[in-house]
Amino acid sequence: MTWPALRRSLIRVGAMAAKETIHVRRDPRTLALALAMPVVMLVLFGYGVSTDVDHLRLAVADQDDSQASRALVRAFQGSGEFLVVTHRAPEQAEALFRAGDAAAALVVPRGYASDLAQGRRTTVQLLVDGADAMIANQLLAKADAIVRAESRRLAGLEALRQELPLRLRLWTLYNPAGRSALYMVPGISAFLLAITAVMLTALAIAGEWERGSMEQLFASPVGRLEIVLGKLLPYLALGLLELQLVVAFGAVAFDLPMLGSLPLLFLVGLLFLVGMLGQGLLISVLAKNQLVATQAGTLSAMLPAIILSGMIFPIENMPLPLQLLSRLIPSRYLVHSLRGILLKGNGLAVLWPDLLALAAFAAVIVTLATARFKRRVA
Amino acid sequence: MAPAVPAVEARGLFRRFGAVQALAGLTFQVERGELYGLIGPDGAGKTTAIRAVAGLLDPDQGEARVLGLDPLRDPAVRERLGLMPQQYSLYRDLTVAENLQFFARLSALPRPVFRERAERLLGITRLAPFTARRADQLSGGMYKKLALACALLHQPEVLLLDEPTNGVDPVSRRELWALLHEFVEGGMAVVISTPYMDEAERCHRVGLVHHGRLLLEGAPERLLAAARVEGLPRPTFEELFIREIEGAAA
Repeated sequence: MTWPALRRSLIRVGAMAAKETIHVRRDPRTLALALAMPVVMLVLFGYGVSTDVDHLRLAVADQDDSQASRALVRAFQGSGEFLVVTHRAPEQAEALFRAGDAAAALVVPRGYASDLAQGRRTTVQLLVDGADAMIANQLLAKADAIVRAESRRLAGLEALRQELPLRLRLWTLYNPAGRSALYMVPGISAFLLAITAVMLTALAIAGEWERGSMEQLFASPVGRLEIVLGKLLPYLALGLLELQLVVAFGAVAFDLPMLGSLPLLFLVGLLFLVGMLGQGLLISVLAKNQLVATQAGTLSAMLPAIILSGMIFPIENMPLPLQLLSRLIPSRYLVHSLRGILLKGNGLAVLWPDLLALAAFAAVIVTLATARFKRRVA
Repeated sequence: MAPAVPAVEARGLFRRFGAVQALAGLTFQVERGELYGLIGPDGAGKTTAIRAVAGLLDPDQGEARVLGLDPLRDPAVRERLGLMPQQYSLYRDLTVAENLQFFARLSALPRPVFRERAERLLGITRLAPFTARRADQLSGGMYKKLALACALLHQPEVLLLDEPTNGVDPVSRRELWALLHEFVEGGMAVVISTPYMDEAERCHRVGLVHHGRLLLEGAPERLLAAARVEGLPRPTFEELFIREIEGAAA
């Protein structure tokens, strides 16, 4: 391409981008979609979708009613993780679970205190509502820890002498408190970026068809790639702004750390956004009206970003076919690199495969969209 | 010297949309400096014909040429062609000035050239006082004039207009036609489609389109003269057209 031809081409891309910017500026809905929605969603997800459980509702059936049994119940309550809501007979546990009044029932058998006093081994029972596996799992772990601590206390000094040969010392790096917000926010950012980026371009091109202006564009000297680039650039800028907003909001509201490099974060975001914008483009090229484009855009961006990205469900736990499928989902690589950059301070040395995958997806999808974008009105 | 190529040439165009045969062997030719009217009722195939000439759809059969070039394959055509589609095709949330500027930049017009042409077009379309008004705030006639101005900015050699006077008041209509005549005198080839029979007489030549092909073609006064029956007053174009359609049906 000669320099004057390239110059004319750049002028046309610039004209498209400038026009698109005017559309965005004059349509508050687009700006709201791009900037307000992420913050609202982040608040909802960050606070609402928390897998940290405390104040678990516990029913107690203290059949011993001794000083020792009351001490055990206090141990459960004292941690703040359990909240004793009622004292009932063990037979009533099922009814309590059914009504959702309690998530677990602790049964202390008659003779608990005397067994302990005589140095006999004794057992307390915990009935758990397993309907919500996530809560049940955490509940079991917590109850186990509390009972272990209590037995150590009861065993007293004698136990120190009979120390078990093997002990596990846990040391959690990167998210020591195990707070789900830290884990969730990078995932949510990926999901939000995916959704808005796909939607924005899907709407932008489908709108051109609906407005009738596509016919005029096709009859003008502007090329297909120039239309595509001119449409992508403003939304790319908007998407990067959104990424910045989400990370900044995460830092303020959830103490999200930023251990890695900011330029790397933007590079990852940029590659991901180009891919997502390309996906929106492809959708709007195939669906020439805004309604269909919106539906297809939301579904194709949202479902994989939630289900297959590892944002909520660990990819390692998926059946093999889904694990393989998730390799085709750009959100997976973004979630992985965002967690790496934000929480671990990972650099290019670790994250290059993610970047490569994102770049490959972007290249393929933009090529596909441009190829399917036919300069024909009928 | 090689013989001059016609400005627009449609050769045996066929195009079917599902059950509808939109074009059925449409053939016509337009020279530089000629104002050619495609006249016909709604659904006759006028829009499809104009889109085929503009290279916006693939004909099933036949071919179109603009200035001797293939509009489907040669991007150079688009630098020399102006199109004013029938449907609203400008950006309604952009102002008059912004629309003009956008289309000027698509043709990569240098700024001084754009200023000079925009000023001239705004003057002759009498849109100059409304440059800051959004396109969706314009009246039907003003909107059409703006669309025309946008299609003329790059000074095309061939101008295609699809029902430009549809929904336009009589005064604006007359103005629009006066503008077109001015451009044609400058050597531009203009193809205009219209369902209004009374507009046929403003063209140098017309083609009567029905069911995707021409029923009749020629200079308007000659068509009318030929159709005149001894002893009766000269028929109107409408009468001539209806007679032809009924003749074709019979």
